[in-house]
Amino acid sequence: MVVVVVAITIGGLTIAERTVSGEARRAFQSAFESELALLRAVRGIRHASLEERCRALVRKPRIHAALEDNALDMLYPSAGDELGDVLADRSTAGQPFARHSIHAKFYRFLDPEGAVIPAGKVAAVGAMEPDEEKQLTASKLPHEQQTGYLWRKSDAPDGEVVELISTPILSSETGEPISALIAGFPPSGEKAGGTGMESGIWLGERLHMPALAGTARAAIGAVVSRAISGSTEAAAEGIPVRVGGTEHFVFFERLNPGSLFPPAYEVGVYPLAGMHARLLRLRWQASGVGLLLLGLGIAASSYISARLAKPVRELAEVSEENRVLRVRAEGALEFTSNELERTARFSADASHQLKTPVTVLRAGLDELLARNDLPMSARDELGLLVHQTYRITSIIQDLLLLARLDSGRVQPELVPVDLTHVVDTCVDDLHLLNDSMDLEVELDVPSGLLISGEKRYTMLIVQNLVENAHKYNLPNGHIRIATREENGMVVLTVGNHAHPIPPASWEHIFERFHRAAVGENVPGHGLGLNVARELTRLHGGELRLVRSDEEWTEFEATFRPANPIPVVA
Amino acid sequence: MNVLRTVAIFLAASCLSALADTVIEGRVELPKSRHSPIASKRYEIVSKGGVLAPYPAFAVVYLDGNFAKPASLPVLQIVQKNLTFDTALLPLRTGTKVEFPNFDDTAHNIFSFSPAKRFDLGRYTSAERPIPSQTFDKPGLVTLRCDIHEHMRALVLVLDTPHFVRTDNDGRFRLTGLPSGSYKLKAWIDSKTTIERAVELKPGAALRVDFP
Repeated sequence: MVVVVVAITIGGLTIAERTVSGEARRAFQSAFESELALLRAVRGIRHASLEERCRALVRKPRIHAALEDNALDMLYPSAGDELGDVLADRSTAGQPFARHSIHAKFYRFLDPEGAVIPAGKVAAVGAMEPDEEKQLTASKLPHEQQTGYLWRKSDAPDGEVVELISTPILSSETGEPISALIAGFPPSGEKAGGTGMESGIWLGERLHMPALAGTARAAIGAVVSRAISGSTEAAAEGIPVRVGGTEHFVFFERLNPGSLFPPAYEVGVYPLAGMHARLLRLRWQASGVGLLLLGLGIAASSYISARLAKPVRELAEVSEENRVLRVRAEGALEFTSNELERTARFSADASHQLKTPVTVLRAGLDELLARNDLPMSARDELGLLVHQTYRITSIIQDLLLLARLDSGRVQPELVPVDLTHVVDTCVDDLHLLNDSMDLEVELDVPSGLLISGEKRYTMLIVQNLVENAHKYNLPNGHIRIATREENGMVVLTVGNHAHPIPPASWEHIFERFHRAAVGENVPGHGLGLNVARELTRLHGGELRLVRSDEEWTEFEATFRPANPIPVVA
Repeated sequence: MNVLRTVAIFLAASCLSALADTVIEGRVELPKSRHSPIASKRYEIVSKGGVLAPYPAFAVVYLDGNFAKPASLPVLQIVQKNLTFDTALLPLRTGTKVEFPNFDDTAHNIFSFSPAKRFDLGRYTSAERPIPSQTFDKPGLVTLRCDIHEHMRALVLVLDTPHFVRTDNDGRFRLTGLPSGSYKLKAWIDSKTTIERAVELKPGAALRVDFP
């Protein structure tokens, strides 16, 4: 994966670098070209102004008079008056912008045959070597201004190239050229800047470019010569040349197209070293940036993936743990459920198993009671034993019920149950008991109070509470049974005089087989409250001990009303 | 009787002596203008193929020979007005002084490089006094120019003879008061063309000479 990414990145970098290099190369090229264009524009302007100056000079009447009125001896003297300021003045040499001055170095007139009219006082017209002067001659006088170039000796070691402007002098009588004024101007002082370009002139099979060393010049000269002899007037694109170990581009362009003078070419040499250096630097920069980006990318992706991996890993671990826990929990649950079921089944089975012997026992005892030949004491004893069997049966039933409640197999069918009736029935049952307590029962239950429950179980609950109220009562005590509405539930309170239940035991009394510090004399087996609470909970309510102090013990059982009572806020 | 004869002879002689001045009449064939003049119609010197001639064309016919020096010569004038010379071609006797008054608002600078007379009057306006002048003391054709107005042109034909005349625009001329003897009669037609004829002048003769 990493390899793929790296490969793609390198590929992209290469393309980008190539594009950028191409762009840079083109930018360099256009920089060269624009610089060249600028130079040419400046030179063009200068040239145009020089030409205009020459044209103005040759219109002078005295020059025409000298040429037309058979007074050639007056030609140069008259010209001297007019063209005197044309010649370069030594006084202007050192001034600023001297190199921009348009003063001529010399001037000459041609006769109608194109030969140079010799000047009398050469100093006044600028000194020239004879062979230089010969180059001014023309085979015929031109009709239009011509531009030419002349390589002559000068103070510089390689001489100088002057720009010749030949302006025809047309007869004011015939309109034909009768002479020409040739003025030689110093080369433009404009120098290329910035790009390190060097420029020179190719003239007469030689290259005038003092800025270059001899070998470089020779090499470039050979290139230019070859290109020019290939009959091109200009090089549209640079010709690559290796000079002094570095690459250069060579441009050339004809300086005086269409001129009667010999052709001269401007040669521009552009060192590519700068461009190459920049390109190389660009390449390095691009590579560096690319590598940096790649490194950053890799680091970032590693970091992100690490960060993502950790929670994922944790998640995986946790899920594993959870899975294990879950499995364990499921196992435990199953075990518990199995256990419960076993227990329930056990209770049920046990109860069922117990019922039979108890029935047999009771039947046997009843039979014994029915005998006439037993002594009273035996009959009393038998009576107690029968009572005990009823007790066993009761326990068995309770156990069975509890087992069934525990196993969750009890689905009560909740119907409206007349609580008042149930209470009345239970209170009536109290009176049937062997009542040596002489208790007073107070009822505060509205008639026809309907709750939602199962009749049998409701009976059991109330029976249990009422029996306890009776069982644990004090001599001459009271029992008070009341109902009220609270939070949309029906609350049944059963209170009685009793020994107080210690607070520590308040919760324990609801446990199975709990009998507190009650003696065996008190009938009961400790399942009642447990069953009652379970049944109350089954009905969607709750059974609570709300008060047990020195005087009064009160239990509260809540039931769902059969018709929902609007909650009084 | 003698008196009558004397008077008659005297009369005849005087008639004869009156007829003793030779006259040459004739006509010069003036070159037809084949091409339109190059110079503007404002100026009167025309150039056709490098040859200057006045326009409208006329010629100068003169008797070439040795003549006595004049006692005095009149002063002539060539006026500059409307940026032209008022005379296109002025024939005059050698030694004539010519004034060049400037009637223009601008300055003029009359000069000539002609070998017959090189002079430069300098720049002057109409206010210049004395009026710049030049004496033409060599025979020949003098081309006058103005250094300021390059198209201003005039010709001065300096002749060594008192006997010269301009032809009319048809080329006709009439020279009178000519001495008798052998002379050359010349017709100056343009700056490059002067035709000559040898003439034998008898006193009182009336010749007719046509050029060519």
